Amino acid sequence: MLEYRHINWRLAAAALGLSIIGIFLIYSSQYNAQTGSSMDYYYRQIIWLILAMAAFAFIIHIPLRMIDFFSYLFYIGAFILLLLVLMIGNSKYGAARWFSFGPINLTPSDVAKLALLAALSRFLAYSKLPPESFGRLIISALLTIVPVILILKQPDLGTSMVFMALLLSLWFWSGLSTLYLLLIISPILSLLAAFHWITWIIYLIVLISVILIIRPKVFIGFYALLSNLAFGIITPYVWNSLADYQKLRILTFLDPGRDPRRAGYQIIQSKIAVGSGGIFGKGYLEGSQSQLKFLPERHTDFIFSVLGEEFGFLGTLIVISIFAYIIYRGVVIALRCRSKFASNLAWGAITILFFQFFVNVGMTFGLTPVTGLPLPFLSYGGTSMILSWSLIGFLILADYNWMEY
Amino acid sequence: MQSFGNDKSFRVRLAAILLIIAFSSLIGGLFYHQVILRNKYTILSENNRIRIQPITPKRGVIYDRNYQVIADNKLSFTVSLVPSEMQNGVTIKQMMNLLDMDSVTVARRASANFIGNYIPTPIKRGLGVEVVSILEEQGERYPGITYSIESVRRYDTAIAAETFIGYIGEISPDEIKASADKEYRPGSLIGKKGIEKTYDQILRGIEGTEFIEISAQGQIIGRYSGKEKIPAVPGDDISLTIDIDLQKKIVSSFHEIDSQFCCGAVVAIDPRNGEILGLASFPELDPNIFSGPIPTDIWDNIVNDITHPLLNRPIAGLYPPGSTTKPITGGAGLELGKVTDRLLLRSCLGGMKFGNRYFRCWEPGGHGRLDLYHALEQSCDVYFYQVGQLVGVDPWCEYASRSGFGKKTGIDIPGEFDGIVPTSGYLNRAYGANKWSKLLVLNFAIGQGEFTVTPLQLAQFYCGLANNGVVFRPHLLREIIGHDGNPVKIEPVQSFHLPYSSEHLRMLNEGLFLVVQGGSGTARGRRKKDYHITGKTGTAQNPHGKNHSWFVAYAPSEDPRIVVAALVENSGHGSDVAAPLVGKVIDYYMTEKVEGFMKNKAVTDGT
Repeated sequence: MLEYRHINWRLAAAALGLSIIGIFLIYSSQYNAQTGSSMDYYYRQIIWLILAMAAFAFIIHIPLRMIDFFSYLFYIGAFILLLLVLMIGNSKYGAARWFSFGPINLTPSDVAKLALLAALSRFLAYSKLPPESFGRLIISALLTIVPVILILKQPDLGTSMVFMALLLSLWFWSGLSTLYLLLIISPILSLLAAFHWITWIIYLIVLISVILIIRPKVFIGFYALLSNLAFGIITPYVWNSLADYQKLRILTFLDPGRDPRRAGYQIIQSKIAVGSGGIFGKGYLEGSQSQLKFLPERHTDFIFSVLGEEFGFLGTLIVISIFAYIIYRGVVIALRCRSKFASNLAWGAITILFFQFFVNVGMTFGLTPVTGLPLPFLSYGGTSMILSWSLIGFLILADYNWMEY
Repeated sequence: MQSFGNDKSFRVRLAAILLIIAFSSLIGGLFYHQVILRNKYTILSENNRIRIQPITPKRGVIYDRNYQVIADNKLSFTVSLVPSEMQNGVTIKQMMNLLDMDSVTVARRASANFIGNYIPTPIKRGLGVEVVSILEEQGERYPGITYSIESVRRYDTAIAAETFIGYIGEISPDEIKASADKEYRPGSLIGKKGIEKTYDQILRGIEGTEFIEISAQGQIIGRYSGKEKIPAVPGDDISLTIDIDLQKKIVSSFHEIDSQFCCGAVVAIDPRNGEILGLASFPELDPNIFSGPIPTDIWDNIVNDITHPLLNRPIAGLYPPGSTTKPITGGAGLELGKVTDRLLLRSCLGGMKFGNRYFRCWEPGGHGRLDLYHALEQSCDVYFYQVGQLVGVDPWCEYASRSGFGKKTGIDIPGEFDGIVPTSGYLNRAYGANKWSKLLVLNFAIGQGEFTVTPLQLAQFYCGLANNGVVFRPHLLREIIGHDGNPVKIEPVQSFHLPYSSEHLRMLNEGLFLVVQGGSGTARGRRKKDYHITGKTGTAQNPHGKNHSWFVAYAPSEDPRIVVAALVENSGHGSDVAAPLVGKVIDYYMTEKVEGFMKNKAVTDGT
């Protein structure tokens, strides 16, 4: 039987605090000064919060071993959901991302985040293969790439990035050497360097010398060399053969802020909202009227802009601090767990929370691209709320069972 | 390698450093925007609006094959409404005064073209400089009203260009939905028809954007410094396969024929590669009238015109081909071994009885006994009735279909029609299963009855005859000329091969050669002394009025360089009206455009 006094209630309190702040901000974002009322998004979010906390309560009551045991089954179930949403899902702006059941939207990619987290945690915890071995890397990469491809087809670049970040982070945590990690992501650097052939040649020389000095396993060395060559040579060639409008479409996909009429305009307005909040903010319900009326995503992706405008730098600092606290607790939990599975699970959970938090907050003032990732706990949305609380559930469960092997 | 970067404390320290950097950059960024720049943003949020000003790219110029301009742009002004800067009661009234429009029209235009509160919504295009000077001088009296410079299409009107160029117009809601492309938005100009539609992506370029700061009083303060201007990328120019000089000759020749014949179509193709040299539909439509919203009365006039100027006759007009498709019947007979070239069929006495029906030949006096060559030369119906009966309905349809009829040619402009090859399946649907006579094939054999073709399909068929059976897809795009100045040539695509052996093709061509060059050919009046013409006349029976006249020909017979097909509606016999028209067009092309013959001409002139 679960002993409630040993549960890390402070972590749950932090999550609850963020969720309540979120509900107030959603109310404000849809507030209409003329009628003195708000659209019912905040009301639905309260129901979502109750459902999310129920999911959280459920998770902390199941034995950790059960999550461990069922993780692959869970993964297969999520995979089927992702396939289904591509075939019969509802679309908004031409992208099929969720199922509708009356007023409820189910976003399978959020379910898939939990499923991949469980499956990767299990595989990386029990695989007898050494961290740098080919088999271990390729199997965990395949586990990740399959849902990523399905999600890119939706198409949702932001969520796909969460999956990649989760894989890299869990590799790192479960013992893959940092240099190997750098070699694995090096093709991206090659892509950046390839925009001028001189920088690319210099980059290639540096890369080859690094490979020669550290002498990694043969397949990693070959992978790094070939993928860098391919990205450096083929990409500029393909790029130059594209028509201007095709280039623009790809660039807009990678960085939606380039599209001046949609995301680009949102960034401008979000910056003005955040910046004009100043140190102390304009006050609750005072900001949304002037600047945010036109932002179509103000209750979801740009909820942090509402916070910045109405509560200023102090408000944003408080929310960031609460997130920092959650991340800090998460790292401590991941560190002290004796079971590798529990440790991976905790580390992966804070990876997902941190990555979405960082990209979403950075987006409101132009640090990170506009990718459509919600802010955990604060953004309006049911599956995002349930996902965030489930991750907190994983953290608390891992913490509670930290002594188990 | 083993120890470095591999132990847990190192990983924890590295993770901690990365996390601290990440949190610091968030807090630092927010500090910079919320504390250091707070005054700048406060002013922006309280007083000013940012307007998004789209910069229209220059639309690509359309040239003919010799780089003569067919369509280019002229500058004009567009007056727009900026919803976020409107003042109740003032803006709409001033807009009505300025543009001389009624409030309903203004409101309809504003809602149809609405994109966003901060983006100008085009209300009226193609305005002169007077309107702009009013706005420039008394801008404060016109709150929420702005103008922009836009290019408006200008088409060469003397050459029936609408047939292939089409026109551009404001995008419709359906087109926005269908494209799903972010480049299109309400109020955008988009190719609606013809080349302008097919190659819209190439021609249109990419819209740029400027961010303009507007004061609370509606005055332009200047460019918003927080966001770079995105320049427009002009569209690529293109060069068509059309030869403007030839096209002009086609138009003038058509107008030289008796003015009672208003309607028809002319197609000219280079059989060696499928390049369309001339394409015209009559009566012509002026594409310039489509550049803005079309006034209702003009539109009604066009739609109600009994000559149907909107019908693009060369690709969408369906006519029985008359005798011009007799080579299909002859070719099918040869291929199936039903006849040989020298075989004399039963004598034509001005008609013949099949079953209990009497089928007439066009020549009441009769042609006597003929072989294939002379049957083609004199276009004897009785000969082809007999061959058609030997071949049968479905085999005949098979050869017609493999000769390119009953399906689209794949020309690179939209709106093409299939035409009808009346197979037994089609006839069962039309008449009821087996409720039709097998003798219908006699009609098809001489190009009448349910069998219908477009002028383009007929020209394509003769391209195949002229080019030893090889048919290239008819096309209009010749070159794309990018900004780097390097033209990209469009390679001709082989479409299909006529279903006749080269020996049989030679026989058919020889028969068609006699049509012009033979002593009793139906078009012997078209004979020239400098070169040979091969072709075929046709008279399409028209249940609604006088017969349509066809002539299709290629020249020079020995090394064909041009195929011309012409149809003149309600003008009677092919040899009377269509043949002289084609003769003029071919003669112009041969003497002005084909090098060897130009030289000959110079020599003759000299002597």
